[in-house]
Amino acid sequence: MEDELYLENIDEFVTDQNRIVTYKWLSYTLGVHVNQAKQMLYDYVERKRKENSGAQLHVTYLVAGSLVQNGHTCHKVAVVREDKLEAMKSKLATIASVHVYSVQKALLKDSAPLYNTDYDIVKTNLHNCSKFSAIQCAAAVPRAPAEVPQAQRASAQAGSRAPSDAGAGSAPVVNGHAPSAAKQTSQQPKGIMEMFAAKAASKGHDANKETKTESKEAPGVSAASSKPPAKSSIMNNFFGKAAMNKLKVNSVPEKPKEEKEVVKPSVPVAEPESSSNVVVEKPGKKTESVKSQQKDKKSKMKRVDKSDNEEEREPENLKKKRKRIKQLESDSSDEEDIPPSPTPEEEKAPSPPPVPALKAELEPVPTEVSAGGRKRKRKRVLKSKMFIDEEEGCMVTEKVYESESCTDSGDDFTESKPPPPQKQPVLPAKKEPKEEKKNVKKGPAAGSRANKQVSIMGFFQKK
Amino acid sequence: MPQRRWLHLHNTWQDVQVRKLCELQLQPSILQEISEEHNLEPQPPLPKYIHPSDELILEDELQRIKLEGAIEVQQLVTGTILAVYGCEQDDGKFLVEDHCFANLPPSLPWKGPSADRFVLLVSGLGLGSGSGESLLGTQLLVDVVTGQLGAEGGQSCAANISRVLLAGNLLSQNTQSRDTINKAKYLTKKTQAASVEAVKMLDEILLQLCTSVPVDVMPGEFDPTNYTLPQQPLHRCMLPLASAYATLHLVTNPYQADIDGVRFLGTSGQNISDIFKYSSMDDYLEILEWTLRAGHISPTAPDTLGCYPFYKSDPFILTTCPHVYFCGNAPRFQSKLLQGDEGQRVLLVTVPAFSATQTACLVNLRDLSCQPISFSGFGAEDDDGDMEVGH
Repeated sequence: MEDELYLENIDEFVTDQNRIVTYKWLSYTLGVHVNQAKQMLYDYVERKRKENSGAQLHVTYLVAGSLVQNGHTCHKVAVVREDKLEAMKSKLATIASVHVYSVQKALLKDSAPLYNTDYDIVKTNLHNCSKFSAIQCAAAVPRAPAEVPQAQRASAQAGSRAPSDAGAGSAPVVNGHAPSAAKQTSQQPKGIMEMFAAKAASKGHDANKETKTESKEAPGVSAASSKPPAKSSIMNNFFGKAAMNKLKVNSVPEKPKEEKEVVKPSVPVAEPESSSNVVVEKPGKKTESVKSQQKDKKSKMKRVDKSDNEEEREPENLKKKRKRIKQLESDSSDEEDIPPSPTPEEEKAPSPPPVPALKAELEPVPTEVSAGGRKRKRKRVLKSKMFIDEEEGCMVTEKVYESESCTDSGDDFTESKPPPPQKQPVLPAKKEPKEEKKNVKKGPAAGSRANKQVSIMGFFQKK
Repeated sequence: MPQRRWLHLHNTWQDVQVRKLCELQLQPSILQEISEEHNLEPQPPLPKYIHPSDELILEDELQRIKLEGAIEVQQLVTGTILAVYGCEQDDGKFLVEDHCFANLPPSLPWKGPSADRFVLLVSGLGLGSGSGESLLGTQLLVDVVTGQLGAEGGQSCAANISRVLLAGNLLSQNTQSRDTINKAKYLTKKTQAASVEAVKMLDEILLQLCTSVPVDVMPGEFDPTNYTLPQQPLHRCMLPLASAYATLHLVTNPYQADIDGVRFLGTSGQNISDIFKYSSMDDYLEILEWTLRAGHISPTAPDTLGCYPFYKSDPFILTTCPHVYFCGNAPRFQSKLLQGDEGQRVLLVTVPAFSATQTACLVNLRDLSCQPISFSGFGAEDDDGDMEVGH
């Protein structure tokens, strides 16, 4: 069912929008794995050709293989037009892969438009350019900016790359196309492997590493499974010395140990536990690409969270600092952007705990203070408070009764959230112990905090 | 070998090991260049600066002596260290009977992988050249490495690529033009250097690579870093997108590293091309092997190649034999597995310039074999010329 949708989409792109649909473009646009995109293009071409609807479709193919030139094997990867496909295939001694590169209505003179299409789509998706690719690297996690200079010092970290094979069951696509992807991809190996497996079998070449890895895939897994336990100890050693100096010209003590295996879904459970030691700051390596992608997401989220927390903490600290300064300088710092509203919340948060502790001190404190010769009276003063209303994005001025000390040391608490007036009695009551505490603490310091409303001469009287 | 002063040698056959100097007729001289009052034309850049009348001079801290005899003048470059066997003649020249080099240094123990692991060596991406010919090739390279191109067999093979090493000249020579200096200010107000755009493109390419494989980036002759050897790594502020990834390693030129237990040593090619200019050797691979045997990466520095004035120790002397010795920006791909007398095994690779040849090198770390891999698109002509691109 979903296949039909995709085919219709491709149809629309190619015929109606007259686009050059490359496998990469399709992969990003539809959000599917690259191998799936290639298979979809192949299906589309097959169907269209069968239908014979007369619409001219031009297809370009990617051919990769090796040939023997001047006595040694060279690998070639080429994008060819359909008419040259057979010629290219015959030139190559062994063919590693052939698949559809792009489908378009118009005949292309050269491959520049292909490049442009890919360039545009990659540019718009730069930050998840590996999302749909077949190879995932667990080490490739973007660092938070603060860590970058530190990481410069450390030696190279081990990466691990595991090809997220689109074949046999492992679902590489995260966005919910998993079941159909599995179906598609199980068809796809048949389709494409048919194309080159026959050729590869007939023209087997010992030195060709492609065929080697293909045939090794099955036994390779069991070998791979025994490798990770052995390597985990090496990994541990490596990360014991993780923080080494970076390069000089002469000696670059890099010891990356990278594990790569050809993935099969049965890749052993040993993988995750060995990989848990792998990277210091990164999550464990997973060979299942779904998990790896999810993990990557998680790790990315972790990073995002971390950075978010950092960001949140900072303004809080700033606010706290500013709040103190503000108290010292009182109204002179009214123009500051800091909305007074969040700060009383912060204040209230620490205030309840100290309140019970303070209450015990309350009795002696006021008497002390008053006995200290500084006459402090509490007065209700109508003040106009200005603050920024975040929801509406405007500055609000309100006339609020504030209790404040009539001497210079009056703490101008920024209680003026727009609380309904009934809250006022509650607030002052709560504030009093705080104020007292603050007064006690800042008695001398607050002396210079001139309460302009009272009298500037109060400043001099203090002295 | 103990070094002896040849002061004391008179008509004796002795081994001497001293520094050698070549006097070259055609060597560009700064004094000649600035002698405008003589109305001399500036010397045109030549591909080779050798001349039949060149002489060889053997030099140590105290004095120098001319060499003649069984020694090939054109083959040697200034700064070579070698031993000569012969005797001093009456006319003050030294007649050479034989000479030899330091030969391959002792090798490092082999700790290579037992399975197939590959390192992709690329050099001379040449971004910012203004011509888009190699761009598709570059994109195909990135796609192969990141596992987007190819069927599953090819992709799982590409997954075994454990490192990509970019050996210099990431930017094209065209970005080096300094026309803005010659033009009037009002014409060049809003222009920016060509390298800015090129570096942005490089950043995007590196980002794509880094999300998938560890990458080591070496600077080259045309890259925005210092000119003298050893060139310092490109600064990460130029590559904001890619340097967020820990898989990006910005490294120096020359560069030595242990990749999966295999010792790599190489340069972006300035040393080899300099020797090419000043000697009769034509083959980059031959020159590469020669530097290994002579025991010094870049004997012509600081004479004709800019180099930091090291005075206490020379970091370019080869004390151990690497397993893979490469140079970038060669005219074509060549590789050779060299066997030393003491059982050393070195893979010599000359990495071709990608912008010209669309070819990169895949080194298999398990058995130190190397294969070129070339990329091509199709053009308007679309003839068999595509196939001859990499050889």
